Amino acid sequence: MGEEKSFPPHALERLAGLRREGHPSGVFTSDFSVNEFLLVRKAGFEPIGLCVGSCIYRMGVQFTRLSSSVELTVLSTAMYEARALAMERMRAEARQMGADGIVGVRLTVKRAEWDAKVLEFVAIGTGVVHAGGHPGFKGPGGEPFTSALTGQDFWTLLKSGYRPLEMVMGSCVYHVAWRGPLQSLMSVGQNVELTNYSIALYEARELAMERMQLEATKAGAEGVIGSDLHEGNHGWSAHTIEFFAIGTAVLPLQGASSQDIPDPQFVLSVNG
Amino acid sequence: MAELPNSLSDEQHAERVAAWERALYDRTVPDFVADRLEEASSGRAAWVSTMTPAELLITRTHGVRPIATVSGNCWMKISFGANWFGLVHGHAIGWRTALDRVEQEAIAAGADAVVDLKMLSQGRHSGLGGVEFSVIGTAVKIAGALSSKRPVLATAPALEFVRMVESGVVPVGVAVGVSGDVLGTIYGRNNGYGRGYASRFSGSGGWANYNASQRIGWQSQSWFNQPITELTDFWERIRREAISDLRRAGGERGNGILAHSHTSRLIRIDQDKQPPAWMGEHVVIGTVVDASSYRKLEFDFQPVVDLRDDSPLDDPLFQSNNIYPQTEDLLTSG
Repeated sequence: MGEEKSFPPHALERLAGLRREGHPSGVFTSDFSVNEFLLVRKAGFEPIGLCVGSCIYRMGVQFTRLSSSVELTVLSTAMYEARALAMERMRAEARQMGADGIVGVRLTVKRAEWDAKVLEFVAIGTGVVHAGGHPGFKGPGGEPFTSALTGQDFWTLLKSGYRPLEMVMGSCVYHVAWRGPLQSLMSVGQNVELTNYSIALYEARELAMERMQLEATKAGAEGVIGSDLHEGNHGWSAHTIEFFAIGTAVLPLQGASSQDIPDPQFVLSVNG
Repeated sequence: MAELPNSLSDEQHAERVAAWERALYDRTVPDFVADRLEEASSGRAAWVSTMTPAELLITRTHGVRPIATVSGNCWMKISFGANWFGLVHGHAIGWRTALDRVEQEAIAAGADAVVDLKMLSQGRHSGLGGVEFSVIGTAVKIAGALSSKRPVLATAPALEFVRMVESGVVPVGVAVGVSGDVLGTIYGRNNGYGRGYASRFSGSGGWANYNASQRIGWQSQSWFNQPITELTDFWERIRREAISDLRRAGGERGNGILAHSHTSRLIRIDQDKQPPAWMGEHVVIGTVVDASSYRKLEFDFQPVVDLRDDSPLDDPLFQSNNIYPQTEDLLTSG
């Protein structure tokens, strides 16, 4: 999803200066650790600058019946859109500084202290560019790739014959129906599966996974690595849960085959 | 405004919920889940895995191809109020049902194994109640593997799975051992001692039960140093029985169990005008292996200084062998 955005002049200068040789502010910024920095350089990339995108979002009003297990589409759409906006703004900064992609993306959410219905989403990562100017590392549509990979994971991914394409997400906010008094009474003193709860969990998780997989397929990825499924409740009722699936979509490097991948050497770390 | 991909109408939701109900009853997966897994398996859609890049590296060199993330869950209402039998079996049923369901998804995906199986139990006391048992892992196909109706379930991540198999230690599944008991009377009913637990100090039976819990209550309030021996005996027996149960479950399929994860809970139940009662439970889970054909390791190790920092892909919850969150409350009253 695209969004026209104009940056303030001082922000444009800062972003351009990060890549300009000889410019007094031509200094890269990143939150890489030293080890990450070394391995990103070893992979043939240079960090340019920190890219940040944020979105402060107010959740709309969601109506539902207590007796229904159903997706809360207003909240699902809100969680999806807010994250997507934060990611898109981060990508816009990367595009502006001429990055090929963003490594080490962290996507966080927190509730505003002044209003429980307002959530703040922040996406932050380090923009990197291929040191040799290789054009083949961009994401879908020629945009900078995004990935949650650390510098070490990024190096390892390239060594395994794959490259990151983009972070893909799937979100589903689901309401679990309340049990009736008769149902509760009939199960007193017994071990019994709460089938409607199990099904609600299954359906919510399945929807989140389907959406993440759809995003990856649409981006032209071969697969998704590091997929993680978060289950949470952002201050909603106890019967409302969000499943959020996130991972990094990957594509094989052109010309790479599994025969070219060396078997890793076994080591025993002496420093923990 | 963003559009939610794969948004469903109320009617479609209702159809899917009905499909889930049928599938859970029939021990299968709904058609839309089977279709998604089959598309990933055949390459028509992106595969999804929990693997890290390091695992992807080694699995590519060893012909292990990820297919999909598969999961199984079971939400149980666990009651201890009736008798200790219910307490013990609630957790066993929850885990075994969740494992059975993740196996069903792996079969639908055409997988040879499920690696990196993460198991999580969460107690939900406010609002929903009950305990959620969830397992999630990556279904994989292994080049050259003989097809089997039942994929192997392994808590080992992909890297360790490959190394174990290379070394002749074959993971064959996951085993669960559970034990629990109640010491004392709860709401005037004799529990736990009715199973034949005999205190070394007062023999077996209802009054012995009552007297032991009274003694323990007094000892707990003593001003002097003293071991609370009866409570210790009670607790140790529960742990030993859980390990014994695990050994029994694992022995049906292999000759060893690796990487135990365990959780235990001993809680005191204060009651009006009665001595307190104690309820203990111990759950232990491990990967069953067949380690009968040990071979010398073909590779050597080198000591190195590690440049790796913590990765956000490494969830600290799963870094140790203990997969239970230590602060979670697992049981709920019935």
